[in-house]
Amino acid sequence: MSFSDNGFFGQFGGKYVAEVLRRPLDELEIAFKEAMADPSFLEELQQIQRDYIGRETPLLHAETASKILGGAQIYIKLEGLANTGAHKINNAIGQCLLAKRMGKKRIIAETGAGQHGVATAAACAKLGLDCTVYMGEVDVRRQQPNVAAMELYGAKVHSVTSGSRTLKDAVNEAMRDWAANPDTTHYVLGSALGPAPFPDIVREFQSVIGKEVKRQAEERHLDVEALIACVGGGSNSIGFFSPFIDEPGPRLIGVEAGGIGPGIGENASRMTGNASRDGILQGYKSRFLIDEDGQALSTRSISAGLDYCGIGPQLAALGKSGRVEFTSALDKEALEAVKFFAKNEGVLFALESAHAGAEAIKLAPTLSPEKAIIVNMSGRGDKDVFITSPVFRPEKWLDFLHAEIERLESDKDIHEAKIME
Amino acid sequence: MEQKINLMSHLVAGYPTDELAFTAAKALVDGGAAILEIQLPFSDPSADGPAIQGACNEVLKRGYRTKDGLAFIKRIHEAFPQVSIYLMSYGSLVYTPGIKNFCSRAASSGVNGMIIPDLPFDYDEGLTAACKENGMVNIPVAAPSMSPQRLEKLAGAGFPYVYAALRTGITGTDTRISEETISFIEKLRKGGSRIYGGFGISSGKQSAALSGHVEAVVAGSVFVRLITENASSEEALYQAVKNKALELTGCNK
Repeated sequence: MSFSDNGFFGQFGGKYVAEVLRRPLDELEIAFKEAMADPSFLEELQQIQRDYIGRETPLLHAETASKILGGAQIYIKLEGLANTGAHKINNAIGQCLLAKRMGKKRIIAETGAGQHGVATAAACAKLGLDCTVYMGEVDVRRQQPNVAAMELYGAKVHSVTSGSRTLKDAVNEAMRDWAANPDTTHYVLGSALGPAPFPDIVREFQSVIGKEVKRQAEERHLDVEALIACVGGGSNSIGFFSPFIDEPGPRLIGVEAGGIGPGIGENASRMTGNASRDGILQGYKSRFLIDEDGQALSTRSISAGLDYCGIGPQLAALGKSGRVEFTSALDKEALEAVKFFAKNEGVLFALESAHAGAEAIKLAPTLSPEKAIIVNMSGRGDKDVFITSPVFRPEKWLDFLHAEIERLESDKDIHEAKIME
Repeated sequence: MEQKINLMSHLVAGYPTDELAFTAAKALVDGGAAILEIQLPFSDPSADGPAIQGACNEVLKRGYRTKDGLAFIKRIHEAFPQVSIYLMSYGSLVYTPGIKNFCSRAASSGVNGMIIPDLPFDYDEGLTAACKENGMVNIPVAAPSMSPQRLEKLAGAGFPYVYAALRTGITGTDTRISEETISFIEKLRKGGSRIYGGFGISSGKQSAALSGHVEAVVAGSVFVRLITENASSEEALYQAVKNKALELTGCNK
């Protein structure tokens, strides 16, 4: 099940879109297939992956963590070391190159945590494309460092005030924009979901993670028991799992946002939660957190990137077939994992990726030290400082914010910033 | 007096309240609307513009359910049995409870047809068949951006009616009725389907330009905006909506 069958992965997937979006999707599908069969496109992509993204990313043996936990050897794929700080750049660069090839000059994107927005804005800056990023008002507020970065890269960040003002509403706005401007604009969808061909496109551009992991594990003769990745929409996990899907092993484990508990609206657990149903939403058929009428339910997670009511159709199908196992981690477990790996390995997980780290902490002690488990650190946690600092060091953080406000209000040093305008 | 133009007018069920939505429906019927397209509010109306999306969100905030929307439709049907009712919504609300189940409930509420833009004609999950079983029609949505092959496929698919979105994009912004617009409609008509044409229709001039080419002119956002602007007065709402319907049907002349 590596590629979709006419847009479907088993019963999930498809192109459930209003007719206005059909032609751009069909054109994109053809252009993608042609590009992936063109050695010059692949060569250009590989070169930019190496020189701009910084591939390949390291596979770190987390020796201290493994010793403390006393079980399997934990390895961490450091996608957070990719330029812009997360795996999202793999897809953004791939799609922006594709858009250029298609003659599109304008890029739109949607973002939740902001990492996809940052990656797309950076890719556009690098490749000379105009960029607009849609982001829910709630996410704009909680991911300010990423908003600032996007603006520095020259993107217009459009704060979405409709609906729940989070990722799904940003997706709706981006789709509307695309429907109105299909001839000039490419929509860089950030996860392996949405209408076909996006799940195939995003997986292929992210599969570079899994291909490197496979090679790196073979070089070190690792006996890999499991690959663990967090799953929001699922782009890092499907890219990480991709080369292993059609093989009998290792175990592939997806970790969803357990939020603050199992109640409806308290998490974003599409595969493991109790409010999940098969549905058709935002252009594709998959598993969604929707009520019995089919209305999207609210979701909750400390990590904006996992706080989404749907999951990519290929992962939903792989979950159903049993090839991918799903579990969840609570907000507090993710925070603990951030602390644990920061202190013991000098690696700062993004809150999203820390969900996978939390599962590794649970799984490693149950396995023999001869075994290896590989965690995908899909992004690094610099961007989360406004969320983690109030938890880990509330008083010092408050002091810092007060001091910053005082400094800004007294107008000291602001002339430096004015130069930038 | 000029010939009256057939009008299909759009209404969001329960917006801003069930009572005011009923008043709006009465005003539309009194203004000459032949068909009411009633939208069941959905959390993610991706093909709608801000006016309709805002209206849907307002209704959903009250905890409005599908059953409330169908009860509203039933009330309209009983009050105005001479008017056809088409239910407009999104695939999620139709698919999640089961398409057969949903169609049966819709038909027994007085719905004559279904317009579900994200269940396209060749990905309809059995909607066309379920509509037929329940004495309704599925009305697929066509767009001017369709490839010639796809347009031909839809035109020849045997649908009694096709909804032609007359502009690329979403609802609620102005549409110019050009030669291309008319040519698009004519291509759709070739297979024998009757055409409803809309998207961005807000003036009598536009509807007059379309009249003769379509079975009915569709207008949506213009009414939702009038309802929003006049929500504080039932009388003002009635008059504003009725006057606009009279303008669009050509009956104010």
